[in-house]
Amino acid sequence: MKNFDYVLAKDAAEAAKAAQGKNTLLKGAGTDLLDRMKEGVSRPDIVVNLLTCTDLRAPIREEGGRIIMGAATTLTEIAESPLLQKVAPGLAEAAGEAATPQLRNRGTLAGNICQRPRCWYFRNDTYACSKKGGETCYSIEGENKFHAIFENVSCNIVHPSNLAPILQALGATLHVVSAKDDKVTSSDIALKDFWVRPEEDISRENILGPGQVIREVSFATPAAGTGSAYVETREKASFDWALTSCAAVLRIEGGIIVDAHVVMSSVAPTPLSVDAVVAMLKGKAPSESLFKSAGAKATDGATPMRDNGYKVTLVAVAVKRALVSAAARAVGGAK
Amino acid sequence: MDGKKIEGSDALSRRGFLKSAGVAAAATTLIHETRKSLESTIPSDATVMRGESELKFKLNGKEVTAKVAPSLTLLELLREKMDLTGTKQVCDRGACGACTVHLDGRTVNSCLLLAVDASGRNVTTVEGLAQGEQLHPVQQGFVEEDAMQCGFCTPGMVMSCAALLAKNPKPTRADCAEGISGNICRCGTYLNIFRAMDRASALMKAGK
Repeated sequence: MKNFDYVLAKDAAEAAKAAQGKNTLLKGAGTDLLDRMKEGVSRPDIVVNLLTCTDLRAPIREEGGRIIMGAATTLTEIAESPLLQKVAPGLAEAAGEAATPQLRNRGTLAGNICQRPRCWYFRNDTYACSKKGGETCYSIEGENKFHAIFENVSCNIVHPSNLAPILQALGATLHVVSAKDDKVTSSDIALKDFWVRPEEDISRENILGPGQVIREVSFATPAAGTGSAYVETREKASFDWALTSCAAVLRIEGGIIVDAHVVMSSVAPTPLSVDAVVAMLKGKAPSESLFKSAGAKATDGATPMRDNGYKVTLVAVAVKRALVSAAARAVGGAK
Repeated sequence: MDGKKIEGSDALSRRGFLKSAGVAAAATTLIHETRKSLESTIPSDATVMRGESELKFKLNGKEVTAKVAPSLTLLELLREKMDLTGTKQVCDRGACGACTVHLDGRTVNSCLLLAVDASGRNVTTVEGLAQGEQLHPVQQGFVEEDAMQCGFCTPGMVMSCAALLAKNPKPTRADCAEGISGNICRCGTYLNIFRAMDRASALMKAGK
């Protein structure tokens, strides 16, 4: 790994100021960044350490009707949080299923959201793929088993975060600190507006620019009668990225679905909110047959490639299972 | 990756193509110039590590110090500078678990942990488990149940098992499987490892 200057930032403001320069990268746990640096895919001159930022370590808490989490909260802390297990079990389960115990003990909330895609052409420094400034997306003609089945136009990555879909379904907001020279400002970005599609800018996956740091992530405390769930399908039971995934948040009153949020992931370059499914759920009584139809509806418009047609079937299953689980929790009360 | 230095600001488009030592030497000057021009973006009172600096942390119960560069991983520090070669390097990408150590009692991949990030923390390696000649119950369980073949994954497996049992003294088979889900054994000794964990659990209950 190439050496670098290491900035031990004391808070988000200092980190944001330090991160304005060229070839400077932010680092949380670094479990993804170190992997890329060892592969030679990322070669920063300056790395800004966020683990030393005390404000990013603010504990998981409920304040003013919102659940707030410091950006450097670990996946283990999210998975084991009694508060999250109670109000947003789908988030706790998404964190608890990620990667391995070792990686969950270090990986952070913001790091999970901002990790780079797992596309093997992107991860291999001998392929000058279009995401890395080259002219070709090798997955179009090459091995595309794990690639996108929606919005696969110019770059066929799938978004790798398993916290992103459930946080998006919960309507999460990112609290971002931005530096412009010495001036520091704060702003809120809805997670659904955070993503950048390859057609907008192929080199990045989100709108975070130089000098910007996620300080906290929050979402409105789910109302009574809300159930949340996250389901992913994988080749291996653990230690794997999802083949397809779905997060669902349902609110059920008097036996009727009054609010629904469904986000599919691992099937497109960004997490995908599925409005057509939401429209068919609202006002109906929850049932397995309804959720099965919802799963089928979610695959409308899929454009699978040579090796990934199986994902169309699998994501329909993930959507159905997530809805079944979310509905059971909504009806079950506390969960 | 050494010997694949690249030209500062041109890094993104040219990655992987400039591999010769000659190019690397020419590029070094450029990197220095780029860095110099960048320094103003780091606040003047911020703590910045450049080159080697002194690291202090607790290793197997003892305060230790070491000179480390920011890019050195804890795994490299342990094996190459501390002479603690029980912790194994296999994939070096957090995918196999052979390098598992405890950081403040939690399992982590030491290959993906910068040594400097262990500053002030409590690190335990497989060498720190036994009390003198008295093996840790997990180590004793591994011996009694023959829970290893080639042995290369064993230190990492032992560290994952020890962390699980510290948190959950009587794990179910499913808990055990989850506990070592970040460790891969090429020889397929998993069933014996599960038996070793049962044995360790019993030993711990008996206070041994």
